[in-house]
Amino acid sequence: MRSEDTSPSKALSMRVMRLLSLASEHGDQHLAEVERDLVQMDVLLDEAIKKLCTSFMEIHRVAELQQEILNSVLADCPTASGQAARFVALRGELDQHIGTAVTGLQFQDMTSQLIGRMALHLAGMRDVFGALDVNGSVPPESGTEALLAALGSVSDRVAQRFSELEGVVRSTVNQRHMESGDIELF
Amino acid sequence: MSKTILAVDDSGSLRQMLSFSLKAAGYGVIEAVDGQDALSKAKQQQVDLVLTDQNMPGMDGLSLIKALRGMKNYQKVPILMLTTESGDDMKARGRAAGANGWLVKPFDPARLTEVVKKLIG
Repeated sequence: MRSEDTSPSKALSMRVMRLLSLASEHGDQHLAEVERDLVQMDVLLDEAIKKLCTSFMEIHRVAELQQEILNSVLADCPTASGQAARFVALRGELDQHIGTAVTGLQFQDMTSQLIGRMALHLAGMRDVFGALDVNGSVPPESGTEALLAALGSVSDRVAQRFSELEGVVRSTVNQRHMESGDIELF
Repeated sequence: MSKTILAVDDSGSLRQMLSFSLKAAGYGVIEAVDGQDALSKAKQQQVDLVLTDQNMPGMDGLSLIKALRGMKNYQKVPILMLTTESGDDMKARGRAAGANGWLVKPFDPARLTEVVKKLIG
């Protein structure tokens, strides 16, 4: 005589529950790690960009001071008028490069928004993995019907979480390059 | 006396770059971290131009513009949006809220100061 515990439907129920429980646990763990790395990356980028900005501003400030000194030196040396024009041209070049750097350095504002959006998606996926865990909601001695009911409930929760997420996570960054953006005056 | 610009953005590095670019062009700059902070600073000190991001925690850029336009002393002050968003629907919403222009990030310091100069001298 076959024991109740080893009937195919109960064994299937237990295996499905075990599978869902493992998927839930491991999925959540992996996503938590990805989330942690993204947050760390955002912090590092933020710190790096602030340092770079400060350095560029200092370069600009020092260049201005140099220019002032050069102007006074050149003013006392009328024969160096050709050099004065060259210094002015070089200063213009420097300003142009700093302007290009300032445009490029704004990548962090965009990556930060993208990382924020990724974090929201990850949180949503972790909720989905959480919903997969039916351990406890279906007693081990239950059969296929109880499992089907539990799976139906899981499907509803997953669908609901996805639709909630769709409404919240709107894409706000569509830039593909770091060229300066359009300007439109109304 | 130099004109004062209120630069509103939740990104510290973006505020740093805006401040640097505008100060280098001779403007005074007040920084705000979001719409609510901007509103509070705009009440404390009259500014000549507002440059605001759209997506910020708390009060966003469009809500800030609407709130400023509701204040008597900010009805005519130029307000520019500076945002990553470039959709026509968002621009239309900005225009309806009372923005005078829409600048898509990233900005070029020379082009930005050119626009500001055109609006407030």
